[in-house]
Amino acid sequence: MGLLGFAIRRAIYSVLLVIGAVVLVFLLTRVAAPNPASLWAGPRAPPSVIHAVALEYHLDQPLYVQLLYYLEEVFTFNFGISPFFKQPIASLVSLYFPRTLELSFFAMVLTVIIGVVSGAFGAAHQDKKGDYAVRGIYLVSWSMPPFLVALLLQFVFAYQWSLLPSSLLADPTMLPPKVVTGFPLIDSLIAGDFAFTASALSHLVLPALALALISFGLITRITRSSMLESLKSDYVRTAMMKGVGTRRSVYVHALKNSLLPVITVIALTFSYVIAGAVVVEEIFGYEGMGYLITQAVYNYDYPTLIGSTIVIVVAVVIINFVADILYAVVDPRIRLGD
Amino acid sequence: MSLVGTVRKLASRPIPLIGLIIVTAFYGWSLVEGLLQLAGNLVHNPSLGWSLLQSNPFTPSTANSLLPPSFAHPMGTDDLGRDIWVRVLYAAPTDALVSTVVVGGGILVGALIGIPAGYIGGGVEEVNMRFTDLFLAFPALILAVAIEATFGRQLIFAILALIVVWWPSYARLFRAEALRIKNLRFIDAALLSGLSNRAIMTRHMIPSSLNTIVSYATIDLGNSILVYSILCFLGLGIPAPAPEWGAMTSLGLSYFPQWWWYSLLPGVVITVVVMGAALLGDGLRDILSGGA
Repeated sequence: MGLLGFAIRRAIYSVLLVIGAVVLVFLLTRVAAPNPASLWAGPRAPPSVIHAVALEYHLDQPLYVQLLYYLEEVFTFNFGISPFFKQPIASLVSLYFPRTLELSFFAMVLTVIIGVVSGAFGAAHQDKKGDYAVRGIYLVSWSMPPFLVALLLQFVFAYQWSLLPSSLLADPTMLPPKVVTGFPLIDSLIAGDFAFTASALSHLVLPALALALISFGLITRITRSSMLESLKSDYVRTAMMKGVGTRRSVYVHALKNSLLPVITVIALTFSYVIAGAVVVEEIFGYEGMGYLITQAVYNYDYPTLIGSTIVIVVAVVIINFVADILYAVVDPRIRLGD
Repeated sequence: MSLVGTVRKLASRPIPLIGLIIVTAFYGWSLVEGLLQLAGNLVHNPSLGWSLLQSNPFTPSTANSLLPPSFAHPMGTDDLGRDIWVRVLYAAPTDALVSTVVVGGGILVGALIGIPAGYIGGGVEEVNMRFTDLFLAFPALILAVAIEATFGRQLIFAILALIVVWWPSYARLFRAEALRIKNLRFIDAALLSGLSNRAIMTRHMIPSSLNTIVSYATIDLGNSILVYSILCFLGLGIPAPAPEWGAMTSLGLSYFPQWWWYSLLPGVVITVVVMGAALLGDGLRDILSGGA
């Protein structure tokens, strides 16, 4: 099968997956949930308010009518007005989502760097002290709840050493740049406001590092085991015999071929990062999707919560699709396997 | 391998032994403390629940508020002067209950979906596994938050929400195991002896998958505590004033960083338990996959 055929098949599958996921959210949050109208109206709401909520969100209609309304809302990206923020949910998402994407991007870059380097280092020192140290570190960071990782980083780097800012998106005394793309860094570069770029970057370091620390273990493990395979292979032995130094054979020749499997877990890692962002953004006061979701949870804002969940699923499905295509481009064998 | 033999092998190596000690201490304590709390509720005398603890985990004592860790208060005290270590101990049974029910429920649903998919194959496999994919499309935590928030903020719904996001990985695991096992000779023998497909799946597939499932599930016990603590951190897991490890961290946030022990130390307890489960699970995998 050609690459195009593969891409089309994956695209159709992804669209079906999104539709299925959207219907699943509907079933779980409206059909399976006991009495959604009284819940959505908030605690201790009088019956008249509950009735008004039921009317507003069509909760009084038969299920298939509700489903049609709901699908129409989702596919036109019109999730309604947030009862807590008093703004259209679509505009809240378009404000907060780019920030989380920016954070996730840096977190992913850090995750891959930390994961690949530690995995390669572990493999090169197999069953020696270095290997045990790497395994110990990822065991501890994997076992820590994300809020603890975030709090420890904040405690050490922001409060004890005052190296980096403890919270927010950027220096609050600076005027944010005009919104063009929604990504604070890119917008400030477009506006030529480099002081703002620097401030936003410095505010990004700790949350991105926290996200990387909770998600790098998977990449470490994959890199380590695939490095161990490569190190046993003929071409690495040939390189060593030809007189290429050990370090170069390990980190250049073996590592390059061990990176392939890492691509397969990038999408999965993105899923970890975006889930971790809910907690990490809360701790660092970084106003992205995590902030939106936690505010929605605290304030019983169900439409916003459900809308955000759907947007995140769509993003995860898209990233999975891109990773699949990327992998097929890099390794043509898997197109045949599918 | 017999249970005693497995435990003996685990105890002979230092790292799995640490895991075994942590996990046994956690579940052992939780069982005792949980039964006391249950008994206290049944006889309408909740003080039974803290009869083994050095103080009442609920009574405020403003004179002692926000004391740093010391011999009298190993983890310090919170804003209301309650001992944090006492509250951590009091909260343990909830986490133990959640982890066992969630992992057990995940295994049950996963087996129901995964084993037929692997053993029967064809249309059943296609339907079951695509259904599984649907759940895997969500980041687990986000789906759990959405479900629990819309069902209601109670322990029972937290457990339900976690099972909903937990079973898919077991469905995949059971499917892979069923694919492996169905080509083994003894399955042919069972078929020839006239056993039905259903009997093969329940009497042969499940016991034969146990080695793989047990080590994975042990690591997962810790993992489920971690995710449950995040739900509680977000205010979803369990209604106040019942103490919970993640919820305690969240309460301590307003006192961070000056009174750091309030939010950090409950998080450290979570880490230790999760790590213990991971060490034990790794050790079990080495022993069980090594045959014998």
